[in-house]
Amino acid sequence: MPLFPRPASAAQQNAGAPTSGASRRNRKAGAVAAAVAAVMALSACGGGAAPQNADGTVELRFSWWGGDKRAQLTQEAIKQFEAENPKIKIKPEFGDWSGYWDKLATQVAANDAPDIIQMDEKYITEYSSRGALLDLSKYDIDTSKLDEAALNAGKGQKGLTGIAAGINAATILANPKVFEAAGVPLPDDTKWTWDDFGRIASEITAKSPKGTYGAAAYGTDEASLGVWLRQNGKSLYTSDGKLGFEPSDVAEWWAFLKQLSQKKAVPSASEVVEAEAAPLDQSGLATGKNGMAFWWSNQAPALEKASGGDLKILRFPTKTGKAADTELWYKASQFWSASSRTKHPQETAKFINFLTNNVKAGEALLADRGVYPNSDVRAAIQPKLTPADVKVVNFIDQIKDELGEAPAPPPKGAGAIQEIIKRYTSEVLFERLSPVDAGKKATDEMKSAISS
Amino acid sequence: MSAISELSSITRRKGKATAEEKKANKRDNKAAYIFLLPWLVGLGAITIGPMLMSLYLSFTDYNLLQPPEWTGLHNFTRMLSDARLHNSLRVTFTYVFVGVPLQLGVALLIALVLDKGLRGLPFYRSVFYLPSLLGGSVAVAILWKQIFGTTGLVNQVLAMFGIQGPGWISDPSTALGSIILLHVWTFGAPMIIFLAGLRQIPNMYYEAAKVDGASTLQQFWRITLPMLSPIIFFNLVLQIIGSFQSFTQAFIVSGGNGGPSDSTMFFTLYLYQKGFGQFDMGYASAMAWVLLLIIGVFTAINFIASKYWVFYDD
Repeated sequence: MPLFPRPASAAQQNAGAPTSGASRRNRKAGAVAAAVAAVMALSACGGGAAPQNADGTVELRFSWWGGDKRAQLTQEAIKQFEAENPKIKIKPEFGDWSGYWDKLATQVAANDAPDIIQMDEKYITEYSSRGALLDLSKYDIDTSKLDEAALNAGKGQKGLTGIAAGINAATILANPKVFEAAGVPLPDDTKWTWDDFGRIASEITAKSPKGTYGAAAYGTDEASLGVWLRQNGKSLYTSDGKLGFEPSDVAEWWAFLKQLSQKKAVPSASEVVEAEAAPLDQSGLATGKNGMAFWWSNQAPALEKASGGDLKILRFPTKTGKAADTELWYKASQFWSASSRTKHPQETAKFINFLTNNVKAGEALLADRGVYPNSDVRAAIQPKLTPADVKVVNFIDQIKDELGEAPAPPPKGAGAIQEIIKRYTSEVLFERLSPVDAGKKATDEMKSAISS
Repeated sequence: MSAISELSSITRRKGKATAEEKKANKRDNKAAYIFLLPWLVGLGAITIGPMLMSLYLSFTDYNLLQPPEWTGLHNFTRMLSDARLHNSLRVTFTYVFVGVPLQLGVALLIALVLDKGLRGLPFYRSVFYLPSLLGGSVAVAILWKQIFGTTGLVNQVLAMFGIQGPGWISDPSTALGSIILLHVWTFGAPMIIFLAGLRQIPNMYYEAAKVDGASTLQQFWRITLPMLSPIIFFNLVLQIIGSFQSFTQAFIVSGGNGGPSDSTMFFTLYLYQKGFGQFDMGYASAMAWVLLLIIGVFTAINFIASKYWVFYDD
């Protein structure tokens, strides 16, 4: 019985399948030999030696999280890179978000980290402050064409440890089919308020078949909380790495969610818990069970593909009904980072440079990881974008003048925040805690998570 | 010559071994150790080594990315004020003390029925054993999730009778119960052991009881249970140890987070989250040793208590 089953390892095997079987076997034999040697020496840590073959080819491991669509696009980018650099082989390792971080932590601890790591803002400080990531500014990577805010998001005490892979914004995605079936018109997202959101969502629920709800519940990640706080003049984090809000702020957020739940604007507590575990393509929005849901902008094309229909990207509602008060921001969707212990920093940097600046990479990846932060690539790939991608790019352009201040980067320990939010959201939805008590307890836990 | 007879001939000749035989014995021993080597290396490198390492780590602050720092008993004192840890203990104890007796009860009941000499017994035995082979697996845990979901099989059946079932595994008040049920369902392994035990009870006791006019229930209380008590004890010890360490079911059914609201947050799951999710491997190691201690204490209690209720027929 596997003690720590991970979907990632299964995906990895699939990913390896199309590559040549012979080299895999050799590697396997090498690994077995290395393992035996390590065991003989009775050393606890087997070294993660990156193989460099006799003919001078270098193999780099590249890990990311994401679904099928991302895997296909990324494999295509890898193919393009290998065609240009026949001496460098890229070995992909990918899996779901949920298993990704456990696996990465273990690999880093075992001195076996992948060379190129897709990184998230929640964890980048955790890894970089502890010296696990390479300072990419010391290598030959052209950052002159990058959007400045996106570039800065990857900078920290230890230098440039991540290069933004794309630009994102928090959005509400709407499924027009659900609206139509319920006979409810789509809202004007430049004018709507949170009350409108609640009213529209509960109207859809009332006029839809059983099991269909107007909106998915928020409260399963920190993005929606971040928007809410910013609209109330607060923030998730402060620039000195503390929480930027009071227990009462998050209590209000949960109180509103509880109202939505009582009005049946959002699914029942049990359904919310079940939805948390569902992957993107089985989410309520993709299966037509939710009229609206909270997603990052770059996820729209994948969700459109999964839902098999058109989706509309909406701004978050506001308190005032003015789009200028939405307080959205450009987020670096993901970062390209490199392990500080990579045996081949030059080659690794070369690959990251390719992903960042090469039009061919852009043509392969399109907008799956968000809008390209490199303005040249972005312009060059415009004609190749799918209609869904174009929608995302347009949305990002549209909100440009409404953006709020760039938020402070998540501090060390921020990786635990999402889990805390989720847990107390279900406490509130199941009415085991009042929003006020949940607010107090959650804030305490968050404080200690980021202070250690 | 079979291995066993060879072995016994070796032991028989022991004591009056000539020099030559001693040499041969030595050679045999050497061969034995060589054959044992893969296991010995495994024991050292994969069990004892990591265990000692984790004992060391339990006294350190270790975040996986940087070298561990010695902090003495700090991890253990932290546990005293960790409310989530206390909750995980509550969950685990509930699971063990509700799940194990239920599972053993069901196993015994089914074993008693099967022991009555049903036609096609091997078939039924296999069918009832099947869940034990599958129950700890990821696939069944995923299946369980489907069956007990808000729109799952159970609720569909309930809906036919006009009952709106809860989301069994997504509602904090029923989630742990669903996992306990999954555990009870894997009664096959203790059942097989019970069956074997029942077969060992000499028929003459029952015949004598019948002659004296004892009812079936009396026979069960006065003969079956006492005669079976060593087997019950064996199953009890095994199941308690195993249940304290359960991980897979809760991990899969709750999507790895012990939810909803920590209602299925087993001790092992919390340990895993601390170690791999929150970069707190020192604390996780300390938790592992606490679990070892807990299991040790309960096993000891079990053995001491066994003196008062287990009957050995010799």
